[in-house]
Order: sequence, then structure tokens, then C-alpha cells
Amino acid sequence: MKKKLLLLLLAASAFSYASKAQDTVKTTADAPLVLYGSVDTYYKDDLSGHANIPTSFASDNNSVSIGMIDLGLKKTVGNASFVGELSFGPRNDQSIPTSGYHIQNLYVSYNLTSKLNATAGYMSTFIGYEVISPAGNFNYSTSYLFTNGPFQNAGFKLTYAFSDKVSLMAGIFNDEWNAYTSEHDVSTFGAQLTITPVKNWTAYLNVATGPTSGTEFDLTTAYQITTAFKLGLNAATFSPSHYGGGFSGVALYPQLAVSKAVTLGLREEYFKAKTVDAGSTYVLAGPLPGGSVLGSTLTANIKAGPLTFIPEVRLDNVNKKQYSEFTDSNLAPTTSASQFVLAAVYAF
Amino acid sequence: MKKLFIALVCLLAVKSAVAQKDLLSIDEHNKYIYYQVVPQSGLTVDTFQNRAAYFLKINYPKNKVNKSELPESITGTGKLLMLTGISAAKHIDGEVNYTFNIEYKDQKYRYWLTDFVFTPYYVDRYGNSVPQPGIDIPLENGAAKLEKGQLNNYSIQISNYSKQFGDRLKQYMLMVSAAPIKSDKKKVITTKDW
Repeated sequence: MKKKLLLLLLAASAFSYASKAQDTVKTTADAPLVLYGSVDTYYKDDLSGHANIPTSFASDNNSVSIGMIDLGLKKTVGNASFVGELSFGPRNDQSIPTSGYHIQNLYVSYNLTSKLNATAGYMSTFIGYEVISPAGNFNYSTSYLFTNGPFQNAGFKLTYAFSDKVSLMAGIFNDEWNAYTSEHDVSTFGAQLTITPVKNWTAYLNVATGPTSGTEFDLTTAYQITTAFKLGLNAATFSPSHYGGGFSGVALYPQLAVSKAVTLGLREEYFKAKTVDAGSTYVLAGPLPGGSVLGSTLTANIKAGPLTFIPEVRLDNVNKKQYSEFTDSNLAPTTSASQFVLAAVYAF
Repeated sequence: MKKLFIALVCLLAVKSAVAQKDLLSIDEHNKYIYYQVVPQSGLTVDTFQNRAAYFLKINYPKNKVNKSELPESITGTGKLLMLTGISAAKHIDGEVNYTFNIEYKDQKYRYWLTDFVFTPYYVDRYGNSVPQPGIDIPLENGAAKLEKGQLNNYSIQISNYSKQFGDRLKQYMLMVSAAPIKSDKKKVITTKDW
């Protein structure tokens, strides 16, 4: 028995050694098959006793709820790459309008030259500051700009790097955002100019426009000014193709690392809903057409290895009661809403 | 039974030797360094220079080589990925940038890798692993800014990479022809003559 146990140990050890040896000699330029992803859970308490703030995700009130499990695989061999990212859970369902679908990213790309890359498939949108994955955001709740903008775009794009500081992406995408298949055609044009004026400061000037999807202009920029202080900015304006409506807004994201494990951040957002013409069916998440909202979100990120605890308080204030859909604890209309969220995100 | 036990102990000893983080030393600038001096008789400075340049071109084509006015050295920078996870599917934690120096005199050469700086990666919206801007952690400051297990893992990977850099360099310095060394060239067997 002892002999068998020892043999088993020896075999396991030899296998482990062989694996290790293979790892240590792997220094080629091709990265291995890479696995990444996250899981998240949260508790939210709106002070009115019911959910009020209509931005994406974290929608359950007074409940310990789940976000999603996000699993991505990617691989590069030579000039060819693929990314496949699956997600399951309420956060997935709220990010994809097609029921039963679970793909966040599925695309292939190829470096045609050292400066020109071609990519095709279903990709996270190039527009905006915030993203669907909770591991990619500092705040757990999301902005009005994010909620009302595109989440994903399916299409084909070319990216050309003029230098380390300037690159341009241009592509043609399906007529509707967030959909795996086009409604009629592939008619949304998208472009992104990326500029890095100084080290650690990157700005993205984005446009997406099409006869079905409407037109959005977007500026997204982030500057890591010191090792402890980062400042982000997102400004956008969107107009649907017909009957008016749309939105414009700006959000500022200052973040300060106060210790190795703790970073504090503020999101200060002004968001205005444009007026609509008669016959418009355009609906957005936020104030009623013509109104505006000021959203202030104070968030802490407390790191414990791959786990991040995110306590967050948020206060949103609509400019006039007539534009507000917020209600107080008696369900009477009011101009303000406030909520507390405690989330935990494990990223790998 | 006794032989099996000895074999297991030997294997474990070899296995622990693979974790070669002790290969890194501290230099006079208090920086981690992988430093080796290799005597090699019969070669001149010109030959060392040609072979070192060829070694870099073939093995590390993405490394940046500085233009040096000195004929007896080559310097430059490179980077390596820091990986964690099981063998089948890895996670990219970040990258380590380093500088390399190769110097030669008649009959010997030396090389060292130093200025190891870790930059963590994050996964962007497209699933790409990209460097976090503005966060550069010199390996010497790793104890204050990284977790112990992370630092240990990265030190081992850097050591193994550095050792492999040196082993390959040695092969190219010994090389007679200008052809690249192919370690896995398969022998062709002919069945006609026997």
C-alpha cells in the first residue's frame, strides 16, 4: 500500500515537474491560451424603500443579488487572434436584448501589417467610458451616459496605428446596437481616433452613425496624473434618426488611491434628455424629455487580492419635478433618489 | 521501497531547483540583477559583437537595441509577460520591462539583465490584456506594492527567463556558422542504405 502511495506521489510529482519545465522554457512571442473573467454579487438599499435610479444593472432593492459570471478565452498565434467571452446572470440579461444569448465578445482579428489590424465579429462598443463587466468599472452602479449608449457593436473594423501616440479605427457595423444580427443591413459607420498627448493620458474621439441606429458623438479620456491620482472624463451627445429625442451629458471621474488597498472615487454626471417630436417612440433611462439629472456617486474600491469590495453611495437629483420619475417612500413624486450599494467583484 | 523514497526525494530536490528566484542578485545600485561572466577562448571582440547581434536578432526580435558607439557592447530593452494559472490556460498578470547589457573583451564576455519593472495588466472592453497606464513597480519595491505570493512568482519567472537568455546567448557565442540554432531539428532517416 505504502509502495503504491509512493509510486503515485512519484508519478504526480514527475508530471508536475514536466509541466513546470514546459512552462519555464516558454518564452515565445505567442501568448498561451488565456482565461479571464469575473463574478460579482451585491446588496442595494434605496432610501425610498424601492428601486428608483434607472441606470443599468444592480437593479434589485433590499436584496442580496448576483450580477453575472463572465468567462473569456483568448489566444494569439502569430498575427491571428480570437476572443470569446460568455456571461450568465442578471447583468448579462440586462446587457443583451436577445433573450437566451450569452456572448459579450466573439471576434477574430488579424494583423495585416505591424500597423494595420482587421477585426470582425461581435464586440464591446468602442463608445463610452464604462463597460458591462464589473471588473472594468470603478463604480458599481453605472452612468446615464453608459445606460443609454451602445453596449456592443457587431461589424468589421480596421485599426491603423500612425504612431505610438495616434491611431484610427474605422468600421462598418450592423444597423442596430447590441444585436447579434442586423435588422435590415450593415449600415452603422463607426470611427475612433485615439490620441495619447502625453504619457499616461489617452483620449478617444468616437462617432457611430447610421440611418437606423442614430448618431452618437463621444469623447472618452483618462489621465493617470500621478501614481495615486487619476482623472477620467466622458462627454457624449446622441440623436436618434427620426422624431427628435436623444441625450447629451458629461461625467467626470476623479479617483485617488489612499493606500495600497483602498482607492476612493467620485463620479459626477450631468445628463440631459433632449425633447422629442410628436410621434416619437424614443425612450431613455433617466429624466423625462426636456429634463436633466445630476448624479453624484462616491465609491471606494477595497482590494483583497483578486477580490474587490465596492461600497458606494449615490444621490441623483432631477432639475424639476415634472421631469422626474423618482418617488419617495410614500410613492409620491420627488426630484431626488439616493441609494447605497455594497458589491463584491472577483476578477481573474 | 528505499530506492523509491530516494528517487522521490531527488525529484523533489530537482523540482525545487527549477524555482530559481535566487538567481537574481542585488547590484551596487540596489537593483535586482542577473549577472554572468563567461570565459570563451579563441574569440575576438568583433566575433563576439557579430554573434551577440545575431543572437538578439534571431531570438529576441522585439527587443529594442540601443545604438552604441562602443564596439565592445550591446545594450537594449525588452519585456516578458508575467503569467499565472494552470498550464492549459493562463492569466496574464502584467509585463516586466528590463534592460540588457552584453559586453565582451578578448577571450570572455559578460551579460546582465536588470531594471526589472512590473506593470500590471487589466482586461479592456474587448477582452485584451493591456498595461495599466501610470503604474510601474520596480521589482525592488515589489514587497511594498505586491503580495508576497505574486512577488515570489514573478521573481521565479524573471529568473528562469534570464537564465534562458544566458543559455541561448551561450549557444550563439559558441556557434561557428551564421545559421540559427535549431534545437528541435528532426533527424531524417533513410531506409535505402543500411
